[in-house]
Amino acid sequence: MAQPIEPETGAPSAPKTGRGKLIAIVIAVLLLVAVAAVAVYYLTQPTGPTGTIKVGFTIALTGRYTVEGTNSLNGIKTAANWINTHGGITVQGKVYNLSLDYYDDQSVNTNVVSLYPQIIEQDGSQFLLAPYSTALTTAAAQFADQYNRVMMSHGGAADTIWTGTTRRNLVEVLSPASVYLKGAVDWIHTNHPTDQIAVLHENDAFSTLASDRAIAYAQSLGMSVVYNQSYPTGATDLSPQLNAAMAAGADDLLGGGHFNDGLLIMNQLKTIWTPKFVSLLVAVTEPSFQAQLQATANNVTGPSQWESSVSYGPTLAQSLGLPWYGPTPAEFTQLYGTLNAGASPSYHSAEAGGALFVLAQAIAQANSLNTTDVRAALGNMHVMNFFGQFQIASSGLQIAHSMILVQWQAGTLKVVYPADVAQASVQYPYTGS
Amino acid sequence: MKLPKLPVYGPSLWGLGGSLLLLGGVAPWIPVFPLIILVNLLIFAALAYSLNLITGLTGYVNFGHVVFMAVGAYSLGYSVETLRWHPLGGVALGALTALVVSLGIGAVTLRFRGVYFAIASLVTPLAGLNIVLVLPALDDGQGIVLNPAFEPLSWFYTIWIIIAAEVGLTYWITHGRLGYGIRAIKSDEDAAKSLGVNAPHLKLFLFALSGLFAGAAGGVYAWTTSGVFPYAAFDLTFSLLMLAMIVIGGMGTLLGPMIGAVIVNLLSRFFLAIFIGTQFIIIGLVVIVIALFIPEGIVGTLRKYVPELRRILE
Amino acid sequence: MPEPTLLVTDLAFGLLLGCVFAVIAHGLNLIWGVAKVVNVAHGEFIMLGAYGAYFLNLWFGFNPLLSAPVDAAIGLGVGVLFYFGFLHRELRGKESIGLQSEMVTLVSTFGLALLIGNLALLLFSPNFVGIPWSPGFVRVGFLQLPLGALYVGVASVAIIALSHVFLSRTYLGNAIRAYSQDIPATQLMGINPTSVAAIGTALGFSITMAGGALLSVWLPTGIHPTMAALYAPISFVIVVLGGPGKMWGSLVGGISLAVIIDVGQAFVGLSLATAIAFLTLIPILLFRPEGILR
Repeated sequence: MAQPIEPETGAPSAPKTGRGKLIAIVIAVLLLVAVAAVAVYYLTQPTGPTGTIKVGFTIALTGRYTVEGTNSLNGIKTAANWINTHGGITVQGKVYNLSLDYYDDQSVNTNVVSLYPQIIEQDGSQFLLAPYSTALTTAAAQFADQYNRVMMSHGGAADTIWTGTTRRNLVEVLSPASVYLKGAVDWIHTNHPTDQIAVLHENDAFSTLASDRAIAYAQSLGMSVVYNQSYPTGATDLSPQLNAAMAAGADDLLGGGHFNDGLLIMNQLKTIWTPKFVSLLVAVTEPSFQAQLQATANNVTGPSQWESSVSYGPTLAQSLGLPWYGPTPAEFTQLYGTLNAGASPSYHSAEAGGALFVLAQAIAQANSLNTTDVRAALGNMHVMNFFGQFQIASSGLQIAHSMILVQWQAGTLKVVYPADVAQASVQYPYTGS
Repeated sequence: MKLPKLPVYGPSLWGLGGSLLLLGGVAPWIPVFPLIILVNLLIFAALAYSLNLITGLTGYVNFGHVVFMAVGAYSLGYSVETLRWHPLGGVALGALTALVVSLGIGAVTLRFRGVYFAIASLVTPLAGLNIVLVLPALDDGQGIVLNPAFEPLSWFYTIWIIIAAEVGLTYWITHGRLGYGIRAIKSDEDAAKSLGVNAPHLKLFLFALSGLFAGAAGGVYAWTTSGVFPYAAFDLTFSLLMLAMIVIGGMGTLLGPMIGAVIVNLLSRFFLAIFIGTQFIIIGLVVIVIALFIPEGIVGTLRKYVPELRRILE
Repeated sequence: MPEPTLLVTDLAFGLLLGCVFAVIAHGLNLIWGVAKVVNVAHGEFIMLGAYGAYFLNLWFGFNPLLSAPVDAAIGLGVGVLFYFGFLHRELRGKESIGLQSEMVTLVSTFGLALLIGNLALLLFSPNFVGIPWSPGFVRVGFLQLPLGALYVGVASVAIIALSHVFLSRTYLGNAIRAYSQDIPATQLMGINPTSVAAIGTALGFSITMAGGALLSVWLPTGIHPTMAALYAPISFVIVVLGGPGKMWGSLVGGISLAVIIDVGQAFVGLSLATAIAFLTLIPILLFRPEGILR
């Protein structure tokens, strides 16, 4: 075989060799330093002191999901703070505190795959939380079964994560995507069954699933869906779609996806169409939704996993015969504010924090740190905490937590559905002001 | 009796090949945690080698390389979930589908020179993403959730085979007659053509190979993350990382992609725990500095300025 | 088959959007025509222009029309910096740009894109922001057109027209055009190629950032560092469609793209319409690489 072909660029003459050697040495030293640093970093990882239960996870602190991920992390930290200052978790007569071991997964699933083994094997986490979003939760789930650790899903809602797999150690705390818009559809069906529905949704995994299931559900109830379109993430002009939905004769608009497209839809609706009922995913629950839209936000509804004004509490739990653990929604909101410079918790904060409370309750109930015992406890539990009810099917899918429907009314966000936790009733129609 | 003459292979190939063989030999004894980090690294290295075959060797900057990875990932997703194949079949299908797609794309876009090719390549993943998003057969926006068994060793050997093939092919291509033609294209394509180099065929050949390996690596990627989601699979960040890896390591070299992959991938773990949010800022700075001052990357620059290393490093 | 009134509405919005698309691509067109290089970080500068308008609105209450000139001024300075940082070494003394230089600028501006985009993510809030400016609507028959979009559409065309006048009627403009056609001849005329290239680049950046400010009107909730990843490819496709270096080409390309997306989505949905719009690049490059305009 031929020798390697020399580069055409002329060979540097002798005087440059000294500088060239210097460059080479510098690069070699840099590489060595880097390797040494990595080695030192890994070798000096402290092992957790006994008396603490280590909960490990990755969370999206940067990347596509940075907002939701950061909110979730703050919720988790708030929950851990509450648990540790209110008696910790008692197992076999001994009191344990929770310690959190987390990394930034940059919203990328390849990082999830390379971090969870480290979290479990190297850092010695005994229990796990899943990352944020369906895609990352899917990538993380395999480690729960492989290493036999319980993993709580607080930010991955697609049903297929549970219905499409045989994994069982992943436990869902939040309501699955398929029921997000169910409340809205139920309300319309009960009160205005002849309304025609338009669905316009973002085509990411979560919004597509939520919207498709809503359509199927509405049609199964005999309602008519006259428009169904999706748009890519980052779309900047939805006026053609909104025009088309109106032209199709729709009365109500369901869908959306995330915050900025929800805002976009509302802004463009101002000049195009005034549906009688609007229900958008995710966007409606953010305080800045109303702050930016002012009067236009009035009477817009949206499904939510949780609001701080929701009336879950020890009394409601008792009336349903369910054990209660943890702070009330108001107490959680207050503690969150104290720890986060006055910010209020979004529902991402609540679902993540709620996951930790459920885990704590399960460990206490199992009276053991053993995965099998705790997973069994989770399977048997039907409880309530500030986030809502918790009960899972054998696959791990959440079956008792209900989505609530919220609506902006005169500048305040109110819970309007279902009736047992509502503060006010649904205002209909939407008038655009 | 005359013994057949043994072919002479360069030290770099021995070094890289030897390390790969060693790794392959001890793999069953590597504990799961370092094994998974290794698999992750090798997936990115495989992607870097595949990009090197086109961008590194010919200078055609392909911003849209992630398309082949996504095609491979979706092939695995579809074959495992709908056709009920074993993931290895999915990886093979990924390679095959990506090969076909790359032939199709390459036949059209490789006619464009330099900047036009780069722009056309930037547009392909965007178009691809938007098309996949409306295909119900691929679960449109929802993505495909898979349920494969957890087999880090299988992942390792699959990506190992892919990399070994890439390293071998890269060496063979650059050291054979093809190597002359490729260097000619890189410095002056028109002159090369007038010398009788069949530039279109050569470019298409390299482009197709790059697509094939990226597709295979994409299949392994989907296997390890047990799912395929459109916005994740078509994420331009992968293209950016691959490009950064070969720029840093040295475009067109044998060791460059591996060095680049090690630096970018392993060092990036710092940014997940300590310097959160700064990874790409640093990568951007490094790429700018390298492109402007040492465009041959680490391997290329070392070869250029340290003559002793030229026999060893490539 | 969608209703005719719907299609006309879509067409109208497409035309308005197309004008703004044209102006954000125009700066790229200019730089490409002058220096024959493509700035991969182009989207990031559009994004900076939009953020400029956002902050000017936040701190001083400027509406985007007012912010555009401010952004343009900033863009001039940024352009000069960019020229001497990235282009000077490659272009200095050369009669034409070689493949090697092309690659160097592609890769270095790619690094710049990473740097600026991620710095923006770090420094600016990760939330999507927007400028709450809505001057109302105007009715034309059954069409209801937002005045904001109308204003920036007109402003965009004005900018492109002004640049055309500048390039064809002023001495400096002619010098820039001469440079883009034949560098040695330009030198023979006594024009310093470095100054011309630097000014041309500065002009390109200034139009880009002004374009970003105007674009913000279409993004009531869409200003975010990641917007660069959408508007860079859009700009590239527009310049290719219209023909690199042809000033009115930006308008032709911009309107074509926006109309394909807005009218197309009525037939095949937004995702597919976007894909088709991007893919028009291919037949143009294959059959009419100098662009739609003759």
